[in-house]
Amino acid sequence: MTGDYRESTKATIRLVLWTLAWTATLASAKFGPELLWGSRQPVASWAAVAVNLAIGVGWIVAFTRFLQRIDELQRKVMQEALAISLGAGWVGGFAYVVADAAGLITFDVNTAVLPALLGVVFVIAFAAGMIRYR
Amino acid sequence: MKNRITDLRAERDWTQADLAQRISVSRQTIIAIEKGKFDPSLPVAFRIAKVFGLAIEEVFLDEQ
Repeated sequence: MTGDYRESTKATIRLVLWTLAWTATLASAKFGPELLWGSRQPVASWAAVAVNLAIGVGWIVAFTRFLQRIDELQRKVMQEALAISLGAGWVGGFAYVVADAAGLITFDVNTAVLPALLGVVFVIAFAAGMIRYR
Repeated sequence: MKNRITDLRAERDWTQADLAQRISVSRQTIIAIEKGKFDPSLPVAFRIAKVFGLAIEEVFLDEQ
């Protein structure tokens, strides 16, 4: 195994661990007030959100380092997938805002739909990129 | 960009994985470069030429 390969593997493992930690703290912030400490404990709820944000910053740093260490073709595929995801969020988000302002949207959309949608777009774009360069 | 990597590899009886390991990239990168789907960065192109013991212009061919 080469040094570069080992470095990219380490960066990948770190990113997975940070992703898991962020997901766990997000779940804690979301379900904690209801299931763990009760909705009358705003300090605990704020603390859970703060921890989630702090872990989120760590995740961003881990993702940046991951991008720096992966193989250049993988980086290209990842960057294209990120660009498509950002574009989809930007275009789709503003289209929704404009349509909503014009009174065309008759239903409420949960704000959690946008990041979930971006995640799905990213996974599809990444998979398409990996297939394209096979 | 066209290149002679497939032939050069075959002359040395190296697999794509062998070459990938020698220049510290993934096998998928070698596959994409050989098929002309992906142009490598200059450092990777130099590493490829170096492992074959050739000049970069002997491995990568200018199509213009």
